[in-house]
Amino acid sequence: MLLQILQDALFAAIAAIGFSAISNPPKRAYFYCALLAAVGHSLRFVLMQAPGIGWHIIVASVVAAFIIGVLAVFLSPKVKTPAETCLFPALLPMIPGIYAYKSFGGLAMSILAIGEESFNHYFYLFAYNGLTCLFILIGMVTGATIPIFLFKNISFRATR
Amino acid sequence: MDSTSYSVTSKELCLFLSRYAVFLLGCGATCIRLEKNVRRMAHAFGKDVELTIMPRHVHMTVYGKDKNEMFTSIDTVLHTAISFDINTRLSELSWEVADRKIGFFEAKERFESIISSRSGNRWVVLLLVSLANASFCRLFGGDWVAMLMVGIATLAGFYLKQQLLRRGFDARVTVFFCAFLSSVLGATCALYGWGTTPDIAIGTSVLYLVPGIPFLNSFSDMIYSHYICAFSRFVDALILTGCLSVGLCCGMLLMNIGMF
Repeated sequence: MLLQILQDALFAAIAAIGFSAISNPPKRAYFYCALLAAVGHSLRFVLMQAPGIGWHIIVASVVAAFIIGVLAVFLSPKVKTPAETCLFPALLPMIPGIYAYKSFGGLAMSILAIGEESFNHYFYLFAYNGLTCLFILIGMVTGATIPIFLFKNISFRATR
Repeated sequence: MDSTSYSVTSKELCLFLSRYAVFLLGCGATCIRLEKNVRRMAHAFGKDVELTIMPRHVHMTVYGKDKNEMFTSIDTVLHTAISFDINTRLSELSWEVADRKIGFFEAKERFESIISSRSGNRWVVLLLVSLANASFCRLFGGDWVAMLMVGIATLAGFYLKQQLLRRGFDARVTVFFCAFLSSVLGATCALYGWGTTPDIAIGTSVLYLVPGIPFLNSFSDMIYSHYICAFSRFVDALILTGCLSVGLCCGMLLMNIGMF
């Protein structure tokens, strides 16, 4: 289990570095992006997979996002970047991309479906994937933004 | 002229702040940050500012404390690539102004140099993105073969994205073609029966195209009641995801693989 958690953290960190590179962060922010992503993703992994916890992906994402939101707010004055600069790229590995395009796939298949049963099946896939994706996103951003909002004095002064 | 003691007119300040605002919004800042940065700088020059942020325009009025002189301007938001580096440096600039470290003319000069700075090395970005998507495949439970194929699919797809965007192709068309190319390459595992997780390879091969930052910015704007900007950013991101899905579906159809 410990090995799995460490592996999850490592690959999440690599993923965060690469995906954040697309949105040109300042060089000093890379390390913190990777750190936050590793903490966030492995925490979500633990909350979902650990025996006795086994939370739903939505709840686990919200809690993980909130924790790294708090971390980001307190780290941002140290890095001298706005909190989002480290936080948003760190959230990228948790973005439910597969749910997003599966819901589009389901929509397309339900339009093309022949007969009620097959339509219902694909419409279910569309609705299930779409709703899960939407609520993970809303939950993640809410969870991650609440700390920025709570500690306004720190988060909007970080670049001072 | 000593720039720190120079008394700025509402017109000069408004024209500067308006340009600052459209660049900050264009490089992917949230609305709340834009409001705070602009207001902070206006106060530093003894002025007040009110602004409306629309999806494609920023409408701003700067006025003196007694409202005797006012200036209003509307500028079009620039659609440049998202850059947290420019975002960070423009936020730093606003604090330097607020703490009276620099005057108006110096701030203008600093602004021009920030917006003309170049982004990072694109080859490094290409390599990092490919590694990132390969690790992403691992996070979803893919084996080493799947990771390798996803890495190659991303390398090719992201290279195509860079080339098409440089040539001024529409972002939606670009995403469609990249998703198509990456999914066809990602399907190689399934085609030749390599590895044990070919389905994960196809699924993750296109994930580097998911517009994550626009989705996050959209919900951040929503939390601060900027509903119009939130909605427009959300629709932008949704359309890109739609183009991605269509590209992926076409790739899977070509390779004769079902999504579900």
